Amino acid sequence: MTREARTAPDGGPGFADDNGRGRSQGPAAGMGAAVAFMRLMREGLESGVELPEALARGAAGLPREARDRVSAAARRLDGDYQEDEWGFDEEFADLVEPVFDFLYDTWWRVTPTGVHNVPSHGRALLVSNHAGILPWDGTMIAMSILREHPLPRHPRFLVLNWAFDLPWISVILRKVGGVVASPFNALRLLEQDKLVAVFPEGVKGAGKDFKDRYRLQRFGRGGFVEIALRTGAPLVPVAVVGSEEIYPKIGELPLISKLIGAPYFPVTPTFPLLGPLGTIPLPSRWRIEFCEPIDTSGYGPEAADDRGLVFELSERVRETIQQKVYENLVERGPAFL
Amino acid sequence: VGGNLARRLERDPEFEYVAGLDTRKPAASLERTELIDADIRSPVISKLIPQAEVDTVVHNQIVRRAGPGMSARAMHDINVIGSLQLLAACEKSDTIRTIVIRGSAGVYGAEPHAPQFFNEEMTRMFPLRTRFQRDVGEIENYFETYSRRHPDVTCMMLRYQPAIGPSLDTQIPRYLSLPVVPTYFGFDPRIQLVHEDDALDALAAAVKSPVRGAVNVAGDGTIGLTRMVRLAGRPTLPVVGPLFGATAGVAKRLGMLDFSEDFQRLLRYGRGVDTTRLVEEVGFQPRYSTAEAVQDYAAKIGGRRLAPALRHVVAR
Repeated sequence: MTREARTAPDGGPGFADDNGRGRSQGPAAGMGAAVAFMRLMREGLESGVELPEALARGAAGLPREARDRVSAAARRLDGDYQEDEWGFDEEFADLVEPVFDFLYDTWWRVTPTGVHNVPSHGRALLVSNHAGILPWDGTMIAMSILREHPLPRHPRFLVLNWAFDLPWISVILRKVGGVVASPFNALRLLEQDKLVAVFPEGVKGAGKDFKDRYRLQRFGRGGFVEIALRTGAPLVPVAVVGSEEIYPKIGELPLISKLIGAPYFPVTPTFPLLGPLGTIPLPSRWRIEFCEPIDTSGYGPEAADDRGLVFELSERVRETIQQKVYENLVERGPAFL
Repeated sequence: VGGNLARRLERDPEFEYVAGLDTRKPAASLERTELIDADIRSPVISKLIPQAEVDTVVHNQIVRRAGPGMSARAMHDINVIGSLQLLAACEKSDTIRTIVIRGSAGVYGAEPHAPQFFNEEMTRMFPLRTRFQRDVGEIENYFETYSRRHPDVTCMMLRYQPAIGPSLDTQIPRYLSLPVVPTYFGFDPRIQLVHEDDALDALAAAVKSPVRGAVNVAGDGTIGLTRMVRLAGRPTLPVVGPLFGATAGVAKRLGMLDFSEDFQRLLRYGRGVDTTRLVEEVGFQPRYSTAEAVQDYAAKIGGRRLAPALRHVVAR
């Protein structure tokens, strides 16, 4: 038994999934495979080969699908996978998709509309309202594009810098397409014709009180418009409804935030009262609307220095999102039912 | 690297005369390079360099990691005082047209909030946190002043990302040859490297077609630290942040690797640089991307892998 337990960490996330698939063929098949695995591995060990080889022989007794999983896990352990220059790891992003699928379908029951407004190729800048310190809204925007768009692609999103100080979260974020919220990153990504999501409300949005939910904060100095103008990327306003109820912030603890260097330390009905359990987002019902793109290529890159135009476009995007947020709030009805 | 560079340059008929200045004998066998035995820290070099009547000076002696028996003080002296003496010597010569310094991208630091790719203008973005960073920063400042005083001399600062290669004894290869490789628990930063061949070729390319100012030198793309260690076939030992210093201390005491402060920050936060200037202005395209450099290194050192047996049988 201990030996089988030892193989589990090697298998990584693939194994957990594997059990689920085994069950669909009936519990007997799953048991049979496990027994075959154990028997072959024991025979291997008794004939005096080393552990990795014995494990490998055991794996030969597993059903085809499980073997593919094991070999995929072994391949990753060998470092045989791709990451782009941003650290985006598509294979990893696909691997964790079931988690996001669950959140998308069951937990938040996301209803996306207007996904066709997202350009299917070339650069584009998605601009969205934002709430909560963890970028769940970013992941759900990505999921609606991946699932509903005829030509799906992974968007990259600019994440509040502070998240990159955190263990694990920083790694997962970069592997699924998050980058530090720096204009240099946005410019480079757009020049590479990527789809980029930004949240111009920034910390002000993330630190909103529950009573201020769905009231869009100031859009900074309109840096995102400058970037869009400089690269000629269309602006796609995105209104997200539901994200502002998952962590209803009712207060803050400024002393703690100063101590750990966080932009703020939220107090919600469940956090920090319930500890880590308090970080589980509430199951609100979500709607995501992708609005008509605003073409910026006509203005030319020099227009980025035109303050007036930048503020005008920034305000236009803000108003579009605010209006769509209100419309979708009415459409959605009660938050949690 | 100095010896290898000299060998590369002396084979090139474009260069009439190559001289090497060091306190130690070069490992590479050289044919027509004149060896000058002098310490860069001593004022003697301000007599030697004008005498040699050279037109190009390559400063390759910036110490990244204190070697065995070298104090932090000595490292600082070699880096800062040595560079100063060298620039002072160059002031006295009127034949010099080009000075190339092999510096370090470490001057940008390793920061969680940094843009994913530093370009050459971003040195002032974050405070210089470590002693090495401050030293390199100081050298860069002196060099800039020199460059302003001598508009006719092309002053080029190469900012190298860490190098990797089977024949190198630098931090990354040493780190990857530890029996168990310590990493920061919960961190998997993006690392960018330059292959040892490219490191040398880039230096030679810079000597041949110098450009003014700073130029980043690195292979294309980046690689996750975990992937790098796995490609090298090493087991990792994740250590929680506060204990990493102690672990590094153990490795140092055992004489395996001295994790400098810069290196520790690199392992935690990583760093990427933009190489547009190198490719477009110097006209040098590195042959190996970062990932290929690691793969090449792994293939050449061979070594014991953990998973291939498993993979081999499963694939059957």
